[in-house]
Amino acid sequence: MWLIVAVILCVVLGYLVVEPASSGARGGIAALFYSCLALCFGIGMFSVVFLLARALNIVHVFKADLMAVTLLTTLRLVARRRRKLNLDPDQTSNSDLPKPLRLLLIAAFAISICVAAYALAVRAIAHPHGDGWDAFAIWNLHARFLFLGEMHWRDGFSSLLPWSHPDYPPLLPGAIAHLWTYLDSDAPAVPVALGLGFTAATAAFLYASIAIRRGHDSAMLGTVTLLSTPFFIEQGAAQYADIPLAFFFLATIALLNLGWSRGSRRLLVLAGLAAGFAAWTKNEGLLLLLSAIIGQGLSLLLEKPSVGPRNLRRLAASCAGAAPLLVLIAWYKQFLAPPGDLFASPTSMVAKLTTFSRYWIVLQWYGKEFLRFGGWWIVPLTVALPVLYFVFPHGQSEEHRMALRASIWTLGLTVMGYFAIYVITPNELYWHLRFSLNRLFLAAWPSVLFLFFSCVSFRSADKVSN
Amino acid sequence: MDQIATGGTRRKRKLILAIFIGCCLLSVIRIVRDAPGPSRIQLDDVAKRSDQRFAAVKLVLPGRGIIGYVGENGESSLPDYYLTQYALAPLVVDRSIQHKFVVGNFPSLQVPSSLPGLRKVEDFGNGVVLLSNEDAR
Repeated sequence: MWLIVAVILCVVLGYLVVEPASSGARGGIAALFYSCLALCFGIGMFSVVFLLARALNIVHVFKADLMAVTLLTTLRLVARRRRKLNLDPDQTSNSDLPKPLRLLLIAAFAISICVAAYALAVRAIAHPHGDGWDAFAIWNLHARFLFLGEMHWRDGFSSLLPWSHPDYPPLLPGAIAHLWTYLDSDAPAVPVALGLGFTAATAAFLYASIAIRRGHDSAMLGTVTLLSTPFFIEQGAAQYADIPLAFFFLATIALLNLGWSRGSRRLLVLAGLAAGFAAWTKNEGLLLLLSAIIGQGLSLLLEKPSVGPRNLRRLAASCAGAAPLLVLIAWYKQFLAPPGDLFASPTSMVAKLTTFSRYWIVLQWYGKEFLRFGGWWIVPLTVALPVLYFVFPHGQSEEHRMALRASIWTLGLTVMGYFAIYVITPNELYWHLRFSLNRLFLAAWPSVLFLFFSCVSFRSADKVSN
Repeated sequence: MDQIATGGTRRKRKLILAIFIGCCLLSVIRIVRDAPGPSRIQLDDVAKRSDQRFAAVKLVLPGRGIIGYVGENGESSLPDYYLTQYALAPLVVDRSIQHKFVVGNFPSLQVPSSLPGLRKVEDFGNGVVLLSNEDAR
């Protein structure tokens, strides 16, 4: 009973955050688009409310949830209703694939969904405490400290446990602990359900956002590509934070893209919020947040017509969306979490920056992981995608070009940021690359698929761009 | 500048798209192959090695604070320690014997009859033992 109440409150919190940007959007695709956002933003909000309740010594989280719902509802009522937002698919998005090919695509779509559901289910049953060390040594352990520690929840940030990375942001542990509090038990089913929920939401959101840009055939193709990535499925049941991070990466990139191309500041606010939740999920998300701001600024500077008041207002909207979570993260890092080990030794960092063999090692690993991170069989899809790109037309209208540039800059800067982090890492370089690079690539993979399938047209009205 | 595709280009595109979908389906086969078959699903190893093993000792330990840890050497020593911490949270388990109470974890070996500086308080079986360090503060 209380679990149902918790799930309803979680979705309501997400809905109240997303709703101002969704007024007037109609149709099944828009509903799917906003439902995925409401669910995952709701989980993010659930962790924020839990942490704040713990910090303010509020014992009954139900009261904290009701306060949050009341606050957001009041804000919504006070804010004036704005003009309706159109999320109808673009006119260029209709597809006319030949019937046999379309049937093959539909069959592949159905098969990949069924196989993903089956594989996730059996993996979740086989590994109810997660598949891999990080699940029980980091994420679920943090959740146990937050839930079982009650008023002594800060013990989990002990410097005696540096291996559990107490500096990691608490979106996943906070949401798990919040749901456990309603259940009054640390049931393994909760992290399992959150992991599966984020995995399903990532695939569904990818479908919806590509469908808005390019129609259902491209959306099916993009989703098949994601769901036929074995590592995505493996991680979906692993109870790590990488799939939630992948969702917030995708949400940031898709919302930035749609926000800029449709001139909607409300979508850009949500993009900032999604980047904020990415930073609240893993430290890597902070890099995305920073890259999103710099990336939009850069694409404005390089674009003509460039920086005008209208575009500056759009940039400000995405910054405003990220601001509340940025403040929260600053509070968390300053007052709760112990300092991380990454920037602990500036002298050593400088020495590593000037060691060029480290750049070469990281570059080699980037090359290797590009081909194999997905765990594909026989043909890496990262090789197959460029073939599609060169064979099919990929024209963009003027407003889409600006949106695409902002998204590509954001993702590109993030990946380059990872590169720099590897160069200066205080950990043994090969060890660090071996155990994290594939998951970093996986976090960016749904966003790459969104950008790719938003660019390439599979219409056989068939214009070839030169 | 754009140009209308010829019939040959269309056929080539159809073929390439079909091949791409085929490549995706190849990896779908791998997903099925790598998933544990329903008959191969075994009992949860993490629960067996953590919550179930430490359930008894958890009952006699304080609800919060810091306790020490001593365990086996070798490859499994690190996961054994992590799983002990996972089972005993919200107690902080420090991998040191400089604490009044120390949990001993010996999943694959006999519990040593004596450990330097430590006195056995209670043996919970299954390789789990509660020890005390009289010299610790």
